[in-house]
Amino acid sequence: MVTIDGLVKRRGGREILSGIGFSARPGRVTGFLGPNGAGKSSTLRVLLGLDRATAGTALIDGVPYARLRDPLGTVGAVLDGSGAHRARTGRAHLRWVARSAGLPRARVDEVLELVGLTHAAAKRVGTYSLGMGRRLAMATALLGDPAVLILDEPVNGLDPEGIRWIRTLLRERAATGRTVLLSSHLMGELAETVDDVVVIDAGRIVADGTLGEVTGAHRTLEDAFFALTGGGSRLTGGGAR
Amino acid sequence: MRALAAELAKLASLPAAWVAAATGVLVPSAVAAMTARGGPVPGGEDIGYQELAFGVLGAIVLGVVAISSEYVTESAESGGGRQITTSLTAVPSRTRFLLAKMGAVAIGGALLAVVAAAATMGVVQAGAQTPPLGAGDVPRLAGVVCYWALTALLAFGVTVLTRHGVVPLALFIVNTSVVSVTYLLTKITLLANYLPDMAGVRMFIRRLPDNDVEIAPLTAGLVMAAWVAALLVVATVVFTRRDA
Amino acid sequence: MTAARALAAELSKLLSLPATWLTIAGTLAANLLLAVAFAQAALRGTAATRDVVDVGLASIGYAQAGFVVLGVLAACSEYIGGQIRTTLAAMPHRARQLAAKHLATAIVALPAAALTAFCGVALTALVLGDTPATFGPILGVTGYLLLTTLIGVAAGALARRTLVAVAVLLGYFFVAGPLLRDNLDLAKYLPDTAGAAMWFPAGGALTPAQGALVLTAWTAALIAVALAGHHRRDA
Repeated sequence: MVTIDGLVKRRGGREILSGIGFSARPGRVTGFLGPNGAGKSSTLRVLLGLDRATAGTALIDGVPYARLRDPLGTVGAVLDGSGAHRARTGRAHLRWVARSAGLPRARVDEVLELVGLTHAAAKRVGTYSLGMGRRLAMATALLGDPAVLILDEPVNGLDPEGIRWIRTLLRERAATGRTVLLSSHLMGELAETVDDVVVIDAGRIVADGTLGEVTGAHRTLEDAFFALTGGGSRLTGGGAR
Repeated sequence: MRALAAELAKLASLPAAWVAAATGVLVPSAVAAMTARGGPVPGGEDIGYQELAFGVLGAIVLGVVAISSEYVTESAESGGGRQITTSLTAVPSRTRFLLAKMGAVAIGGALLAVVAAAATMGVVQAGAQTPPLGAGDVPRLAGVVCYWALTALLAFGVTVLTRHGVVPLALFIVNTSVVSVTYLLTKITLLANYLPDMAGVRMFIRRLPDNDVEIAPLTAGLVMAAWVAALLVVATVVFTRRDA
Repeated sequence: MTAARALAAELSKLLSLPATWLTIAGTLAANLLLAVAFAQAALRGTAATRDVVDVGLASIGYAQAGFVVLGVLAACSEYIGGQIRTTLAAMPHRARQLAAKHLATAIVALPAAALTAFCGVALTALVLGDTPATFGPILGVTGYLLLTTLIGVAAGALARRTLVAVAVLLGYFFVAGPLLRDNLDLAKYLPDTAGAAMWFPAGGALTPAQGALVLTAWTAALIAVALAGHHRRDA
């Protein structure tokens, strides 16, 4: 369970998040939607304790990330890139992460197998393609078999087969009662994966509900998104789409 | 010409280049201020010049960051993107790209030397017991400018080969120390006097401690320039042949 | 338990980084070459001393650069490829994580420092055909290099950029420090001069023990600043 309440983040005098609040519930895939620069990544960074909130709270199972007893067993997170040093091998990267949580070595090979990186485990991360880097980040997130998955633009850099793989994986996680929160600006992709939708624009939540509620009278989630964020009128000069 | 303008703009927009410039100006003038305050010193004819020999640190950093910045991946959100890809798409001829970079580094190093020399000599002249600058100082100051520009190119050339700044930066800074490694080598073989930095400083330093080898300033400049030219040829060949 | 896991993770990181091994090997090799050079200079009578330990440790003045770089790399490698995010996700207790990194780096640096100091003296003894009279300075050098490495880690954690940290630290240790030493009386309390007293007492006014104390205080202070900064700043 992820609960965000009254979250404000100011950076260099500019307000990036203006008191946002929403929650992601167990057993459901929650889509966190917004155009580039709307505040999606900033929200996730505060949630993961990477950045400090100016005001408000972002809690996981009722506590801030930094106070989790078993962080890797509670939350798995994929932000942009691989999150790994380019000079290390994929396996060496997963090994140090496993050590930090006291996980057995065998678990490293399990997640490598799970994300389909076993063949590249002995190669340096610097030689990985964009998609392989994302798979490694996914493997890192799954290492502790966490109850909550948090993903920032998970399908970026993945090929169609990778996209289908991740969609299946996320649905499976939710089906087993886990919480999945993913951010994206790819509407078409989201509509097929999510149960709940939260839309953020310019640091404010503009819509929050089930997929059906947010799509509402619009034909598709994409239309609803442009109507909510004003992105469509910006791009088409105010004309009807 | 346009490539050179682009490279100068790149260099001027690097914060590290300005830090290098500040170091290059502040270190020699601050040390000169301390030395001048201490009253007359042995080797008085080299006062100011000795400090400028250390201040070359600034030119070294400039030469290193000019190329290492193209390969840097440290920024938290860069996602592994390296500027070199953009640079080589903008200027596809690698030789021209590298020549433009060398031009920018040499100009930057020389400009920095002019400012640093003016500041340092200004501080020295403000001290009471120092002889005033004369006509004899003109070629020596020109020597300082050449030394800084050539050292910046030397650091640049090595960094082109390593693609990462740490090793060349460490080697060059360590060798700028008061008793440099190359100076130590002159104790073992007189040939070490013809290493680039040992020869180069003779463009403006009159007396090196415990060293009787005489190299005329012009010869010294030619020796250092030959080293730099050789290194840059190797760097260019390697750079044009390997993957970016 | 969590602290032990953090240490295990940090050790694992450091040991799986090729740069760690390259730096240690490069430093060891460079130190041996310089030791031979100093020994040759001593044989020709151009050096001030012919004492095996003094000559054999003279090269440390340069080799310390490798240990500074080792420390900086240990800290700054976090900021390559966004690894810091993975690190803080796995170890959200930041002070504990950075303390573990200092400890892990010390565990790697200690044997490397002892080996570097010992090999330099051993090779010098071989070249000069003499045996060392005392081993005290070798211990002093080992301690000095260990503390210098930790200064590198702390400065690297503060700067977050390898080149910046390396340029500032080496600029201090090799250019600014020696110049201050010659011109300023208080310089004997600065980390480099105080540290040098740990193994080369002739130059400083401090005894080896005092030097060790002063350098330890500087190191501890810098680590405290780095821990506070790591705790407060956005990643």
